Amino acid sequence: MSWVGRAGLRARVTTGFAAGALVLSMAMAVVSYQLVRQSLIAEREATAVRAAYYDAAIVEAGVNNNPAPDIGTVLRSLDTGESRRAVLQLDKHWHARSADTGLTDAIPAALQEHAADGRVGVQMVRADGGPALVVAVPLAGGDVFYEIDSMNELERTLQVLALVLTLVALGTAGAGAFVGWNATRYVLRPLIRVADAAQQITAGRHFARLDPATEPDLARLTDSFNHMVDQLSARMERDRRFAADVSHELRSPLQTLAAAASVLDRRRDALDERSALASGLVVAEVDRFQRLVNDLLELARTDQPADRQDVDVAELARQACRDHGLDPAIVAVLHGPVVWSVDRRRIRQLFDNLLDNAASYGGGATAVRLTGGTDRCRIEVDDEGPGVSPEDKPLIWTRFVRGRSQSSSRADGGGTGLGLALVAQHASAHDGTASVHDRPGGGARFRIDLPGCL
Amino acid sequence: MMGSMSGVLVIEDDDRIRLSLVMALEDEGYTARGAATAEEGLAAQRAEAADTVLVDLMLPGIDGFECIRQLRRVDDVPIVVVSARDDTHDIVAALEAGADDYVVKPVAIKELSARLRALRRRARPVTLDPVPVLAFGDLHILPEAGEVRVGGEPVSVTRTEFQLLCELAEHAGRVLSRQQLLQRVWGYDGGDERLVDVHIGRLRAKIEKDSGTPRHLVTVRGLGYKLLPS
Repeated sequence: MSWVGRAGLRARVTTGFAAGALVLSMAMAVVSYQLVRQSLIAEREATAVRAAYYDAAIVEAGVNNNPAPDIGTVLRSLDTGESRRAVLQLDKHWHARSADTGLTDAIPAALQEHAADGRVGVQMVRADGGPALVVAVPLAGGDVFYEIDSMNELERTLQVLALVLTLVALGTAGAGAFVGWNATRYVLRPLIRVADAAQQITAGRHFARLDPATEPDLARLTDSFNHMVDQLSARMERDRRFAADVSHELRSPLQTLAAAASVLDRRRDALDERSALASGLVVAEVDRFQRLVNDLLELARTDQPADRQDVDVAELARQACRDHGLDPAIVAVLHGPVVWSVDRRRIRQLFDNLLDNAASYGGGATAVRLTGGTDRCRIEVDDEGPGVSPEDKPLIWTRFVRGRSQSSSRADGGGTGLGLALVAQHASAHDGTASVHDRPGGGARFRIDLPGCL
Repeated sequence: MMGSMSGVLVIEDDDRIRLSLVMALEDEGYTARGAATAEEGLAAQRAEAADTVLVDLMLPGIDGFECIRQLRRVDDVPIVVVSARDDTHDIVAALEAGADDYVVKPVAIKELSARLRALRRRARPVTLDPVPVLAFGDLHILPEAGEVRVGGEPVSVTRTEFQLLCELAEHAGRVLSRQQLLQRVWGYDGGDERLVDVHIGRLRAKIEKDSGTPRHLVTVRGLGYKLLPS
């Protein structure tokens, strides 16, 4: 969960950096492009107008000085280069070099009117599939000299410029993302340490603290985190001690009760019916009380790590089955070795409690399966009772939560309500997990996974 | 070796616990009597030796640990600790002081009775082996006489220690797991293995020249203990 949270924040920051860089660089690129384009076009316009004036002067001279001018020759005499093409409107007739026929369509009517008023005009048009500038220079006598200047080359230059600027913008965005990713890694490092420490504490290592010296800027975070953990572990320790002290204090009176109850129990036949019934209740409840106190003391040992030694778990399971009046043949070794490095006492109690639970709620255990593996060892206890409803599955591991008993009368004196809580605690003392599943074919399957027991 | 058999002596300072235990043990067929302090208990044991002693650890005056040590100095009477304290430190300390078994309060009377019966079986060392002397180098075990000698000198061992040694001697050269020893010597099914470890330690202190590097009673890591054949 913490990983997803970290990645989310990191992804968001990185995306933010990238988006910011992209917007900024795109804006810069657009502005640069526009400025360059305008200045290039303005320059080009000025050049075109200058050239048109010059050419117009030549044409005018050629036309005026010759009573019967050969307009084609005059136009051909112009040094227009490749990009410029001249068109002359003489007495409402269009004249152009033979190669340039059809160009007149490109000259917009508005410009023609503008020129007819005797004013010089410049307009951007599309001609021959590319942009072009049309310059109109009015000559004496209502004639107009037009020059169409192809801007293909300028267009190509601008395209290259646009491409380069776009690439630069994208590159900048990428660099922004990179910076964001790395910056967040650096910024998040202390938070990852906080997460690690929190995880350790959750796993029961209450001594985990953050080192305030490593990150002076985050001193407040480390201080309050450490303070919180101190408070938390002090409180847990108080609770644990309280449970342990109470249970401990109960032991001595319980010993008297247990011994006295057994004396009463022996004389049951000598008692009248009512007294016998009452003494039966006392004996049964003393027994339950005794188990409750033992379970509470066991629960209070939360912080004690598993006392691992090599244990033949299959033999332990068979022994537990025998003690619960079950056929030891229900213990099946599915795979792997049966000698595991576990806490014998805890695992024995784990078996006892799972078998008790199956007897109380599942009509008795029908199979105990053991799987030894190098990554994890697995214990499964099956019953063929009604199973555990989905909403109860997370609850059954909680202290003092009891299911509805299968048997109408609980001849065993009732459970303590701590059995499965202890199972979960013993599993976690081995860094393992306890879970409940649906047995294929009906019933419940309690599963204990214990890592690193081989 | 002792006078009359007086059954079980309960050394317990809590009057109600003592009274109820004595009553319940009598119901189980033992002759039982109580003592409220260690001093009283030690005096009672000197006057008329019981064949089993139950001791609480938290006693006024001389505490349970010291009481066990003083009892041990006199003879090898089986001693069972009955205490509300269940941390490893106390259990090991009591066993090292010389206790044979340890049960945590509240103990069911049937359970306590089973422990006592197992101890009584041990009280008369019997072995199926008819050989008068089992020799392992300088270590000699005389099952009939209930004696252990190291280099010819008799060594005093408790009945539990003797029984433990006999079990290992009977299977000399073979490894016995802690659970097997618990079952054979203490009659436990799945009991506390610290019982075995502490008793092995005590035995080593008596029969080994250097208990840090045992030559007779060796630990087989992860499996258990074995007595090396000569």
